[in-house]
Amino acid sequence: MNELLGLLNDGNSRTIEQLAAELHTSPEDISRQLEYLENIGMIRKVSTTEKKSCGGKCGGCSGAECRGCMPKNASANMGKVWEVVR
Amino acid sequence: MSTATIALLGQPNSGKSTLFNALTGLRQHVGNWPGKTVEKKEGTFTYGGTTYSVADLPGSYSMSANSDEEVITRDFIASGKADVVCILADSSQLERSLFMLADYAGLNAPCFLVLNMEDVAKEQGKKIDAKAIEKKLGIPVMMFSATDTKAYDKFYSTLERAIKEKPQINTSSLEKGYEKLNGYCEIKSQLDSNTPSGYTPMWLTAKVLENDKVVSAKLKNTLPDNKVKLIENLSNGNDGAIALGECKFAWIDEILNGAVSKTKTKAKLGKLDRIYTHRIWGKPSVVLTVVLGLLASFIPALPIMGIGMGINALNAPIREAMTSAGSPAFLTGIVCDVVIASLYFIINMLGFVFGVTLVFGLLEEVGVMARISYVFDNTMGKLGLQGKSVMPFLVSFGCTMGGAAGARVIDNWGQKVLTIALAWAVPCGAAWSIVPMLSTVFFGAGAPLIITAILIVMILHMWITAKIFSRGLVKEEDRYGMIMELPPYHKPKWGALFRYVLGRTKDTFFRVTKVVLIVCGIFWLLSFSSGSIEDSALYKFGVAIEPVTKIFGLTWPLFLAFIASSIGKEGAIGVISALFTGGSIFAATTGAAEKAANINEILLANVTRPEALAFIFAITFNMPCLVALAATYQEIHSVKWTAKIAAYYTLTALVLAFAAYRIGLVIF
Repeated sequence: MNELLGLLNDGNSRTIEQLAAELHTSPEDISRQLEYLENIGMIRKVSTTEKKSCGGKCGGCSGAECRGCMPKNASANMGKVWEVVR
Repeated sequence: MSTATIALLGQPNSGKSTLFNALTGLRQHVGNWPGKTVEKKEGTFTYGGTTYSVADLPGSYSMSANSDEEVITRDFIASGKADVVCILADSSQLERSLFMLADYAGLNAPCFLVLNMEDVAKEQGKKIDAKAIEKKLGIPVMMFSATDTKAYDKFYSTLERAIKEKPQINTSSLEKGYEKLNGYCEIKSQLDSNTPSGYTPMWLTAKVLENDKVVSAKLKNTLPDNKVKLIENLSNGNDGAIALGECKFAWIDEILNGAVSKTKTKAKLGKLDRIYTHRIWGKPSVVLTVVLGLLASFIPALPIMGIGMGINALNAPIREAMTSAGSPAFLTGIVCDVVIASLYFIINMLGFVFGVTLVFGLLEEVGVMARISYVFDNTMGKLGLQGKSVMPFLVSFGCTMGGAAGARVIDNWGQKVLTIALAWAVPCGAAWSIVPMLSTVFFGAGAPLIITAILIVMILHMWITAKIFSRGLVKEEDRYGMIMELPPYHKPKWGALFRYVLGRTKDTFFRVTKVVLIVCGIFWLLSFSSGSIEDSALYKFGVAIEPVTKIFGLTWPLFLAFIASSIGKEGAIGVISALFTGGSIFAATTGAAEKAANINEILLANVTRPEALAFIFAITFNMPCLVALAATYQEIHSVKWTAKIAAYYTLTALVLAFAAYRIGLVIF
């Protein structure tokens, strides 16, 4: 897992498959390591579906969900993204 | 009749609730764990003359103290209230789902392992030898499918066996791994006696090395101060959590080795992903995808534009009818020049909103958008931005305000400012609805070339802006990588996609109509004159500033539309609609409105192609809108930087207009 974290600190982004290829292991192994690192707080998931409320200021939204600025169901199939916690 | 208590333990989605419901049926009780808001589910069932109480423990990743659920779970198990613990794991992904078992290993409570979702594992072509796993673990292990009601006899017999034999996990191999860790043996030797009940020294030592604060607090209450201090010293300064995680995964691999076929698959990318993630071809293929996507968005836009043309066709007969009916010129002007002309532009614009949203929604649905974000992420990374900056950029294709708000996830202030500054360069949904329309009017079949040129300029703009703004804002060491799990490609859900696209188009229609009608109305009123047009305030002002605006290739009406686009891109449409189609000004100055049969011809008669090119670039790269400006300030909390970004974009838009005009003069 230290190797995995080392790769993440070089500034480049990678897919799980690329990490698996670079670390000579399987994508499943990378996925479980990511899940573990996330649970111990060393990496965190970046939200790609978070709806931002503008408080109705953008003119197209009302209430908690900002339909004017972030379409409903936007980024629904954007996969998962993690980043290192510093 | 005898009684027994079983606890169901498993990670979320391990099928625990399905099993609990099938076992207890309606004999359930739901409440809260004492002092917590975590749901407590209990129930009973009778089998073979024994009444079983079932505790459905909260779903948690592990037995660590990372959440209330995990603390409740392990406290319940350690309390000894359960005669046996049923540990569930997902057969289709044993490498990860057995982590709960690995973390459980070392607790005293008897247990057995249920490899649930046998059917899913079979579908994946996995063959699991439960007997081999049982032999290695020393506890009963069974394949199971909680949704299969016929499989429960096997479950009951395994349960009875576990209650009778009280088996515990064979941890010798796991502990061998632990013993290699710094401080493990020394700490364990301090815990060999007087440890809290329910826990073994091995389990406690592992948790101490993981820096489990709840376990450390328990030990403080149990052990003398000198031992606590010694343990603290031994556990400090090592990366225990990572090392222990690796030990557990190695143990899981050892358990599965020879017992599961196809546990490891070679990392393999799909054909399309090999192109998108290719070092050389990745970027061009992504740019090509975006360009093709934008071009394809013209196709669904055409039928809606046809409706717009239909509305425009009503303009002349309505004007004629109103005039012959003796309607005052002012009223006829309001109806024909403001309402009908605005609706023509709005409907045309909606066609592109519909097209762009449909095409890019489709790209996202099928999983292509995630690949685009991945490729852009690496490119942007070279500008010193965090990987997640790509999200605000993508959102900015829809709305810059959303992009600015989306930058909230960036914790480094400098990178946040830079991200928002660059997000402004991404043409928003309103721009994407106006620009193709204007490009089609002025350049016909050449419109796709204009769109392509805008995309190229956008990339260059972002690159230059990053170079200008990054100085003093970001440091190279602030940049770190991200991991992306690309979603699988799949067929789109057409129903959901169309609901989303129609919803967005409807929202845009109501929002844009208000802005366009108001702006169009105001400018029409300012340009309206019952006498000579030269008496109108707007005309006088426009003519006065035109020598300056002409430098940028913008006639004064276009310049006013450019200014209005700072409030909202839709505002530009309102100004164009009022000034170019109202006829009052141009009828007076060029007489074009009298000669031209429709709005397109009026525009073509009054605006040259170089001027149109200058205008398209000016409004595309101008400040996005007032709300984007407000959102930027809200996120970066700096008047200075907000003003800098706004001034920079106004200036660069004019510079781009100047360049586009000069190029246009050469070409046309």
